[in-house]
Amino acid sequence: MATPKKLLIIDDDPDFVDGIKTILRKAQYEVDVAYNPKDGFKALETGQYDLLLLDIMMGRGAEGIMVARKMRKDTRLREIPVLIITGIREQIAFLFPGEQVHPRFVAVDELVEKPIEPTLLLEKVEALLKEAKVKKAKAT
Amino acid sequence: MENRICIIDDEEVVLDSCTLILEGSGYPIVTTTDGTRGLQLVQESQPDLVFVDLKMPGISGFEVLERIRAMDPNIVTIVITGFATVGSAVDAMKQGAYDFLPKPFTPDEFRLIVQRGFEKRRLVLEAIALRHEKELLREQFAAIISHEVRSPLAAVQQSLMALQMELEDRLDEDQKKRLQRLQVRIDDLLRLIHTWLRVMSVDESKLRETFRRISVATVVSKAVESVQPQAMRKDIEITTSVEPLSCAVTGDEGTLVETLVNLLVNAVKYSHTGSQVQVRAKEQPDNLVLSVADTGIGIPKEELPYIFEDFYAGKTGQMVEKSSGLGLAIARRIVQAHGGTITVDSEPGRGSTFTICLPALE
Repeated sequence: MATPKKLLIIDDDPDFVDGIKTILRKAQYEVDVAYNPKDGFKALETGQYDLLLLDIMMGRGAEGIMVARKMRKDTRLREIPVLIITGIREQIAFLFPGEQVHPRFVAVDELVEKPIEPTLLLEKVEALLKEAKVKKAKAT
Repeated sequence: MENRICIIDDEEVVLDSCTLILEGSGYPIVTTTDGTRGLQLVQESQPDLVFVDLKMPGISGFEVLERIRAMDPNIVTIVITGFATVGSAVDAMKQGAYDFLPKPFTPDEFRLIVQRGFEKRRLVLEAIALRHEKELLREQFAAIISHEVRSPLAAVQQSLMALQMELEDRLDEDQKKRLQRLQVRIDDLLRLIHTWLRVMSVDESKLRETFRRISVATVVSKAVESVQPQAMRKDIEITTSVEPLSCAVTGDEGTLVETLVNLLVNAVKYSHTGSQVQVRAKEQPDNLVLSVADTGIGIPKEELPYIFEDFYAGKTGQMVEKSSGLGLAIARRIVQAHGGTITVDSEPGRGSTFTICLPALE
């Protein structure tokens, strides 16, 4: 069997994290967690992650965005696919009702709303991993 | 807070007697015989109540009134006028003066009108404070709900989903059902919060940024499509007519569809099984008229003025299904953002017709 993919979750809500972590581990992913943007970014820099699950509203505001911005400046980190899981979509969604919202913070990303159906979560993770792989294959 | 008075009258004797009458009442009074000086005094002393003589040399009482209104429309103004010129007092009141004081007047008449003026001022200030508070509450409420209420619910729901997955083969059917019901309840709650947030966060100016030319026929068909399942369950037929089929408006498709969906959901909800709901769009010279008509239970006359307000869901006695009381409030906000109007015509027992008027394309 192939080595399991390594995922990182950055989210400050431990209960929410437990929920998605369980779903992802059951699907054979290896999952690490950081509960604030600072630790999260450190983990990203030191670890080798295949995908990041990122919360937007952390701390005093949209601190998740800062993580994405910093990732974009880093040539290695900006290749990591990001699944943004947020509770603020209702505000964004108002401007684009019924449309898929691609934040385009980094090369490969997508946005979903909390809570997220387990099957949908796994689908999105898989799709993003695949997309990143295709992109990488093209680049080399 | 103490009430301040400013009196502007070219007759010194009027100023003196007014000051004398109110002596001992403790109200600070400033007076002047000149209109221009009067405006300065109003600016400096920020009075609650201003008496203005209509007939003065120099700038006229009408002009003084107008400039006070421009300075602060919430200052209560009362005109002083001679008996023969009551007509001009009426004119002044039409332009915003609160009352008039005919000369000559008795001390009691003056005291009474001062009291009434202050009372009016108090009400004006209270209304402003309430409006401001309501606005603040609306904004903060949206923020509080989205973070403090929604996040924990999302966390609970996520954990329930995970539990359901983990315990798949260990729970019996009854336990699984219960777990599912928990999730449905939380979903309902999340949806309700979502609707609340929508009402609070409809930002009309932001919405206008996304305006473009949209096809009315598309809006109608999308809305009807999304309500169709509910209509079928009650065996209700939704008929549509768009004239001409090519008509268009300037607006935001998503929110206009949402508005029409809200009206259609209501129409279906309050219709009798097996009846019809009609959606019509008609182009007129100056506007586009969209209407949704049902033959359902209708709305009592006394409730009509309130149905477009937030959280109004009708009296409990006649509610046929649960309602957040927000669908029409959202509809009204969206239509207003489009520069249009939404009205209703209804007769209990006969049905309701909701009509949206949108400005025609330029």
